[in-house]
Amino acid sequence: MEQKDYDVILDSLAPTKSRLEVLFRQAGDGFIQVEYGREQRADLLDSFRIGTVNANLLEKKIPGLIETVPGIRTNLFHFEPEILRPQDLIQAIKEEEHAVVDVEDIELESRVIHLPIAFEDSETKKAVAKYVKEARPDAPNVINGYNLEYIAMCNGVSADEVKKILLGTEWYNSGCGFWPGGGFFWPMDPRCAIVVPKYNPPRIWTPEGSVGIGGPCVFTYTTATGGGYQLFGRTIPTFQFSQKHPLFKETPFLYRNGDRIKFHEVSEAEILNIYAHVHEKTDYSYEIEEGKIQIKEYMNFVQSEAVVKGAEEFRKKQAKGAMEAPKL
Amino acid sequence: MLNIINGGIETIVEDWPGRLGYLGKGMAASGALDNVSLGFANLLVGNPTGEAGLEIAGGYFEATFTEDAVMAITGTDMKPTLNGDPVDMWTSIMVHKGDHLKFFHFGKTGFRSYLGVAGGFDVPKYLNSKSTCIFGNYGGFKGRKLAPGDLLAFGQPSSPLAGLAGRKLKKDYMPEYENEWQIRAMPGPNTCPEYVTKEGMDYLFENSFKIQHTSNRSAYRLDELTDGFFARTDGGVGGSHPSNIVDHAYSIRGALNICGNTPIILIGDGPTLGGYFCALHVINADLWKIGQGTPTRDYIRFIHCTEQEAVEARIQQKNLLSENALA
Repeated sequence: MEQKDYDVILDSLAPTKSRLEVLFRQAGDGFIQVEYGREQRADLLDSFRIGTVNANLLEKKIPGLIETVPGIRTNLFHFEPEILRPQDLIQAIKEEEHAVVDVEDIELESRVIHLPIAFEDSETKKAVAKYVKEARPDAPNVINGYNLEYIAMCNGVSADEVKKILLGTEWYNSGCGFWPGGGFFWPMDPRCAIVVPKYNPPRIWTPEGSVGIGGPCVFTYTTATGGGYQLFGRTIPTFQFSQKHPLFKETPFLYRNGDRIKFHEVSEAEILNIYAHVHEKTDYSYEIEEGKIQIKEYMNFVQSEAVVKGAEEFRKKQAKGAMEAPKL
Repeated sequence: MLNIINGGIETIVEDWPGRLGYLGKGMAASGALDNVSLGFANLLVGNPTGEAGLEIAGGYFEATFTEDAVMAITGTDMKPTLNGDPVDMWTSIMVHKGDHLKFFHFGKTGFRSYLGVAGGFDVPKYLNSKSTCIFGNYGGFKGRKLAPGDLLAFGQPSSPLAGLAGRKLKKDYMPEYENEWQIRAMPGPNTCPEYVTKEGMDYLFENSFKIQHTSNRSAYRLDELTDGFFARTDGGVGGSHPSNIVDHAYSIRGALNICGNTPIILIGDGPTLGGYFCALHVINADLWKIGQGTPTRDYIRFIHCTEQEAVEARIQQKNLLSENALA
């Protein structure tokens, strides 16, 4: 049998005081993934740094570079390999990595978007029922016809506590993707860092506005689509293809990279009423605050005694829960 | 114009290379699943190879022409007829006002037919492309598959119609169709030793995988993986299944996503980002074979490929789709 080459790390940068090792991974003809470190971690500092390096690189307007897709700990580079050689692209990325300032000095533009949510509403319940019927009748993540109990079990808390956690922190968008207008949201408060496995196999259908979590990340489904996240309930539209509502006049997207969202609980009737006021009457008023994140200030919060202690206690419960919850 | 009598199983407007540059907005490139067939259909009727045509998946599409036009049909052989008579494929044909075009279902090999018309299909561009994203309901003709009563306008042909009819593709330029598709792929970004065992990677390259009935324009789902595939027991903070990862962007079109125990090729309308790792990548020049892969019948076999070979294959494909291909 011919020996196949499965080594995909094309190049790397050794770690420094201010960042992790940087790996350049082959991801196809015309794709390179830049990864921070080898460990799976969700550290907002990585995301702040990736966002900064990414913005500086895009200003260079490198010929043959089609686009970049930054995430919490990776950045995907999509390019035309007949025009731009992988080694030349890697060289350009390395230069920006060397040049970037210490991430703690950054002040980020970041809005806060307030979103109502109805927990365990009837539309997202339909998606769970359809999954059980068509994809996995014995799905261990479906308890009493829904995912909330399973999310709770995985984190060693009750379903009510899970709701409080979702409502109790701002969630930071490390970058848009997955689906038109979708953002990936991470808890700003480490005491709210719930983690769950994703559906196995994934769902074929999820309704517009579903709020879910997969791994450590919250997502609001912008239109009906498939997906693998455990569901909490339903929020209001966060995307409008028709661009009829004044908020969506310029682009169909609500979310920008670096936004924060904050949930508050309402009834299902209220959510449905808002849908009508966004999509039909187009007079719903979104609650959006302009703002900034001072990284230094945020670091002080994360490193404060109360937060460190609280997060540690939560992790203990979580470790116990993760051991007891069935795998998917 | 083309007046749709029956949209068939799924007929949509697609161009090539599709809607590039919006992965970071969560928008896949979409585009023709078989860009080679679309390219030849366009070439035959005198269009740029990336012009919008109709992608006819499965079959049973039926339409009448409300004006004279030149058309070409490529892809799988759906036994197309014009006014009830068999019509040649891989050839440009003059059609007249009132002519009735009808397709049967997909042939013994292949799954999608393409219809090109001189001038292309005149639908509005959305974000620089005429391609339909069927799962997002945008682009193409009203963001959806075609339905009875739809009227599709044609663009301006590159030259007078009479001169564009009767062009044929040379035999040796004809793509070869199989029931087991040999598809070249590059390992990465997530392989061994961290994610997949050496045996697991060998397994991907040494077996053929049946295309599942749940396959569609965003994902081609394959047979479940064997035990011993994963080199890890969980995904750390990415989730408890070993296929989980902290969410990252997917290199679409072409990423082989390991979704639980199911390998899934992410194609045209696929998700741009997610929380499962990707073990290999179907090279750009072989994406068309996925589009012709028939769910529940055909198999896919991955052939190991280097970056250099992949770039050469891209160049070869561009050369293939040129006037030299015409007899």
